[in-house]
Amino acid sequence: MIRIAPHHPAIFVVPLVLLAAASPAVWGADSAATPAAPVKAAAPYTGAACGTVDEFFRDEVWTKVGAQKCLECHKPGGDAEDSKFILQDPSRDADPERRTSLLHNRAAFARMAARRTDDKSRLLVKATGGLEHGGETVLKPDSMGFRILEEFVRRLSVPEGTPAMTAVTLKADSRAADFFEGISMLENRRLLRRLTLSLAGRLPTADESATIEKQGLKAVDLLLDAVMKEDAFYERLAEAFNDIFLVRGYNEGAESALSYDNFSGSRLWTQKFDLSEFGDEAAQRKARYKLDADYREALLREPLELIKYIVREDHPFTEIVTADFIMESPYTSRGYGNFDEIQERFRDTKDPFEYIPVRLAALKSRDVKNNQKTETGFYPHAGMLTVFQYLRRYPTTETNRNRLRSRMYFQHFLGVDVLELAARVTDAAAVQAKFEVPTMQAAECVVCHRSLDPVAGLFQDYFSFEGVYGPRKDGWFKDMFGPGFEGEDLPPDQRWHALQWLGERTAKDPRFARTMVEHVYYVMTGRKVLLPPKTIDDPLFDAKQRAYQAQRQEVERITDRFVKANFNLKEAFKAWAVSPFYRADGVTTAGTNPRRMAELADVGVARMLSPEQLERKVAAIFPRPWGRLKDSQTALLYGGIDSQEVTERAADPSGAMGAIQRTMANDVACKNVAFDFATEPGKRRLFQNVEPETVPGEATESDQLIRQTIVHLHQVVLGRDDAMNSPEVNRTYDLFAGILEDAHTRKGIEPLENYSCRANGEPRAKDPQYTIRAWRGVVTYLLRQRDFLYE
Amino acid sequence: MSNPQYHSRREFLKFCGLAGLGVSAPIWSPDAISAAAAEPAPYEGPFYVVFNASGGWDTTYLMDPKGVGEINRLYQEGDILTKGSHKFAPTAKHVQAGMSNEDFYAEYGSELLVMNGIDYSVNNHSPGARYMATGKLDSLAYPTFAALVAACKGPTCPLSFLTFGNYSNTGNLVAMSRIPYLPSLQKIANADSIEGNLRSPYQDDFVLDRIERTLKEQTDATISRTVLPRIEHAENMLYAAQLNSKSLARVTPYIPAKIPKERLSQQVEIALASFKAGVCVSANLNIGQFDSHANNDRDQMNLIPEFLAGMAYLMKRAEELKIRDKIVVIAQSEMGRTPTYNKGNGKDHWSIGSIMFMGPGIRGNRVVGATDEKQMSVPVDPATLASDKESGIRVRPEHLHLALRQYAGIADHAMSKQYPLVVPEKEKLVGFWG
Repeated sequence: MIRIAPHHPAIFVVPLVLLAAASPAVWGADSAATPAAPVKAAAPYTGAACGTVDEFFRDEVWTKVGAQKCLECHKPGGDAEDSKFILQDPSRDADPERRTSLLHNRAAFARMAARRTDDKSRLLVKATGGLEHGGETVLKPDSMGFRILEEFVRRLSVPEGTPAMTAVTLKADSRAADFFEGISMLENRRLLRRLTLSLAGRLPTADESATIEKQGLKAVDLLLDAVMKEDAFYERLAEAFNDIFLVRGYNEGAESALSYDNFSGSRLWTQKFDLSEFGDEAAQRKARYKLDADYREALLREPLELIKYIVREDHPFTEIVTADFIMESPYTSRGYGNFDEIQERFRDTKDPFEYIPVRLAALKSRDVKNNQKTETGFYPHAGMLTVFQYLRRYPTTETNRNRLRSRMYFQHFLGVDVLELAARVTDAAAVQAKFEVPTMQAAECVVCHRSLDPVAGLFQDYFSFEGVYGPRKDGWFKDMFGPGFEGEDLPPDQRWHALQWLGERTAKDPRFARTMVEHVYYVMTGRKVLLPPKTIDDPLFDAKQRAYQAQRQEVERITDRFVKANFNLKEAFKAWAVSPFYRADGVTTAGTNPRRMAELADVGVARMLSPEQLERKVAAIFPRPWGRLKDSQTALLYGGIDSQEVTERAADPSGAMGAIQRTMANDVACKNVAFDFATEPGKRRLFQNVEPETVPGEATESDQLIRQTIVHLHQVVLGRDDAMNSPEVNRTYDLFAGILEDAHTRKGIEPLENYSCRANGEPRAKDPQYTIRAWRGVVTYLLRQRDFLYE
Repeated sequence: MSNPQYHSRREFLKFCGLAGLGVSAPIWSPDAISAAAAEPAPYEGPFYVVFNASGGWDTTYLMDPKGVGEINRLYQEGDILTKGSHKFAPTAKHVQAGMSNEDFYAEYGSELLVMNGIDYSVNNHSPGARYMATGKLDSLAYPTFAALVAACKGPTCPLSFLTFGNYSNTGNLVAMSRIPYLPSLQKIANADSIEGNLRSPYQDDFVLDRIERTLKEQTDATISRTVLPRIEHAENMLYAAQLNSKSLARVTPYIPAKIPKERLSQQVEIALASFKAGVCVSANLNIGQFDSHANNDRDQMNLIPEFLAGMAYLMKRAEELKIRDKIVVIAQSEMGRTPTYNKGNGKDHWSIGSIMFMGPGIRGNRVVGATDEKQMSVPVDPATLASDKESGIRVRPEHLHLALRQYAGIADHAMSKQYPLVVPEKEKLVGFWG
C-alpha cells in the first residue's frame, strides 16, 4: 500500500480490478456530448464499463465531496442551477443503484476537472473559492476533500499507457465482503415471537411455530399475511405512524380540526344530542361525558384510520398523499354534518370507531363568498396532506407562511429534514440585514427556501384559523418563491387542487417510496435509518460509510420490492422481517476490532419496549395486562410520548424507568403466580408441571419437574429455548432453591402468600413451604431481564 | 488502553455492569471506574441547571439593551439601567407577573456573568437549539452539555440527567429522565414496596437479595460473551437503571408537600429534590412560547419576567435546602430577535444573542462580548475577552461549550473526547470564568 493521504491511509483507495476494467469509451461518449474541453490524454482511469460507476468516483469523490459540498447548490432548482456544473440528486434517481445520476455526475466532475485556468483544473480552483465561485470557499487546500479532488484530477490527466497502478495504492473493495459475515441471526422461532409480539401483541400460536420450524424463513411471508389481517396489527400500525406523524398532538381540542367557519352547525353535535333514553339528568350527564370523549377520540383517530384502511385493503400506499377521501365514523360524520347522507353505509351507527371512506363536498363557509370553489364539487382530498387534523397539527402563521408544513411534508413523505444539518453561515445576521428578501436573494438562504417555499405556496388555501381551509386575505406572499414543486411551477388553473397536484408528484418521486420503506424500518426497530457520515477526517469514516451503504442497499432492495408490489406497505413489513438488519442477533467471530464494531454499531434490534408495547406483552403472556402504563403520566415517565411536547420515545431506561420496571416485575408476579397455581392444572399458563408441594432436592423427579417449569417460564416469558441443564436454567433453579433455603432458616414467616397478591379478592393463598413466593421471586427475576423488557 | 488495570474493553464493560454503570458501547472511561461502587454514594455537586427560553428570547429586553434605531419600543437608550458592570433594559413598569430586570439584577448582578454577541450562525429553531445545547452545529449525534456533564460526573445516579424539554440528545452516554410532575417522584421512589409503602414490601428481604444477585450473575454472563454493540449497550443500561433506581428512595424526604403553580418552579422543585437526594447531576429546564413573531413586546414582557422568576425561585429554594453554593446556572435561548419589528409588531429570528451564567467559581458582575447599535455581533479578543472589531473572533457556541467543559472539569474526560469540539488554540476563551 502506498499512502497518498498521509494522515489517513484508509482513504483514497480504489479496487485494482475496477481500474483495470474502466472503459474510456463510456466516459468518452458521455463527454463528447457536451462542449467541455477534452481531457489532455486518454487515461486508464476514465470510468467504469457497461454503465457502472467506478468506485473511486462513487466512494471518494461523490460520497465525500460531491454529495456533501456541491449538490445542494449545483442541481436543478439549486442556487447554482444557472452554472455549467449541474449535478443530479441520486436520491431522486429511480434506479436503485443510482447509476443514471452517478454517471451524469461523474461526467460533470470530469468535464469541470478537465477545464483549465492558468493551467489549473477549474474543479480545484472553484472548490477553493476561486473564479468568483458563488459558494465561495467550500474546501480548504489542506483538507481531505481537496486532496480527493486533486487525486481525481490527477487520475484523469494520466497519459495513456501510464501504469496508473504504480502511482496509487489500492485496496480491495471494502464492500465486496458480506457485511453480515460473522453475525448470527435470530433463530426462526424467536423471530416469529418477535414479529407476533411486535406487530400483533400476542405470542405465536402452536401452528405458527410449527410452520416456521418446518419451513424456515420462507414461511414468514405467509405467516405475516395472516398477522396483518388481525385488528391488533392495525392498532399497532396506527400507534407507530402516530409516532412518525404525531398527528394526534394538535392543540385546542379534538373538535378544533373542524373549523368554526365550515362546520359551525355540526361540529359540536354532542351538546344537543338526545340522550333521554339514558334516564334522569345525572345518567344523561354521564352518558354525555362518554359521548363527548368518544367523539373526540374518534376525531383524533381519523387520520390514522386512513393509513389503516389503505394497508388493510391492500391499496397502494401512495394513497397516503393521493387518497380522494377521508375516513369518517358515525360520530365524526355528525361533526362534518354528512351523517344523514352516509349512515346507510355503517354497520353500526352507534359505534364511534367504525370508519368508512367518505368524499367530502366542497367546503361551505358561513359567508357564501368564501365557499370553496372546486371543479368537481368535492373537497380536493390529497390523502394526509388535506386531512384537517394533519393541517391543525402543523399550523401556520402570518410569519411562518406554511413553511412548517412544507418542512414536515418533506420530512414525512420524502425523507428530507431540511433543518437537520443546517449549513453554517459566516455571518447570518449580516446576510439577513443585507438583503431585502434574504430567502430569495441570499445564497445561504436560497439553498433551502428554493425547495421549501414553493411547497409552502401549495398549502396557501389552508391559511385561515391556523391552517384549515381559507386563503390569506391579502393574497399569497410575493416575497417568496412561487407555488410549485422541485422546479416545476404550479399552473394557476390548478390552484384549486394544489395539494392533489403535489400528491401526484410526490407519489412518483423516488424518494417517496424509499421514505415509506424507511418508515416501516422505524416501526419495526424504533430507530431511524442511518445518516451518511459527514466527517471524512474521522478514522472510522470508512467503517461508518460501509454501515451506511449496506443499510442503503437494503433500503433500495426493499423499496424495489415495495414498488413492484404496487406500493403495498405489507410487502415492506415482510421484507424487513426477514432482512438481516432485523434478524441480526449475535457475533460469532471473536476478537472484533474497533472498525468492525463501528460498522456494527447500529445493527440488531435491541429495542426497549414502549409503555404500550410492554402492556401488550404482559397481556400476551399473563391473563391480564399490568394496567399502570395505560395511565398517561406513568407512560410519560416510562419514556412514552404525548405527541405534543414529548415527541420522541426514550431509547434507554433511566433510573426512573428502572424503578418502574422493578414495580412492574414485582406487581405482575404478585398478581399472577398464586393465581396461576389456583387455576386447574390443565389451564395454567405458567406452572403446568409443579404444585406448591413440589420442592427441590427431595427427589430426582421433582427436580426434573422444577427444571421443566423453568424451561417453560424461560420460553413463555423470555422467548428463550434453554436446555434443562443450561447455565441459564441452572441460574434460575439456584434462585428458586436458594429462596426456599433462606425461607426455611427464617423464623416467623407467614404460611400465606401476601394479601396484596390476590388477583380477584379471593382468600390469601396457602403457602406453608414458601414455594409460591419462591416462584414469585423467579417470575419477578425473569420480568426484569432484557429478554422480556426489550424487543 | 487507557487503564492498564483492565486488559480489554470487555473487562471494563463487565466491571461497569457489575457496578451499575450505564455506559454505552463506545465509551472507555477510567474516570467512571472511580465512581463505581456496589452501593453508589449520593452525588454531592456541583449541580448544573440549564434554563432554556425556547423559541428565541429578545435579548434587547434583558441583558443587551439598545433603545436606539427603533430596536425597542418600550424604552429609549437613556432609560437603560445599570448594576455594577451590567447594563439592562428597564422592565419593572411592564411586568404583570414574575420578576423584573431591576429586581433580578439587584439580587443577582454581582454573581452574574453575561456573554453578549454570540453568533448562533443559523436562525432556525431546531439547528439553533441543537447548536446551543451541544456546541456542535453539524451533527445530530452530540450530547447536550447537561447530558455530557451528567454522564461524566454521575454515571450511577438514577436521574443523572433530567430534562423538561428542548433539545436533549444524550449521545448514548446517559439515559435521559423525564419526570413531568412532582407526584411522579413519589411513584418511583419505593419500587419494591406495594403502592410505595415501605411497610409493605412485595418480597421478603432475602428474596429480593437473591433476585438482585442472580440478575447480576445473569448480566455478567451476558456481557462476558461477544455480543452486538447494541445488545451490550442495552444490557448495561438496563442493569444500571434497575440497580441505581434503588437510591430513588432518598428523594422522598425532599418532595415538597405543596406544588408551586408556576411552570419553571415546578421543574425546579423536581430538580432540587433530585439534587438534594444525590440522585441527579444536571437538569434541563424549559419554557417555550418565546417565538414572538407577533406582538413581540407583549410576549417578551410576559415571558422574560417568568423566566427570571424561575431562576430566582431556584436560587431561593436551593438556599433553603442549603445547596445554593453548589448550583451552576446556564440561561440561554436558541436565537435572538431581529433589531426591527415586522408588520405584526413582532420580531423574527436573529442569529445573534446572549447567554448568562452563575455558579461557584464564576466571577460575577461581568459582561463579555457586545453587539453594536444594529445588534450585530462585535468580535472578541479571546485572550483578553475585550471587544476587538479588527482582529477578534466571532464567539460561537463551540467556544462557550469548550469553556463550559473546562469549567466543569470534564474537557479531558473520555466521554468528552468522544465528542470533540474543534476550536483552534488561539480562539480559546482565556479567563472566561474570571
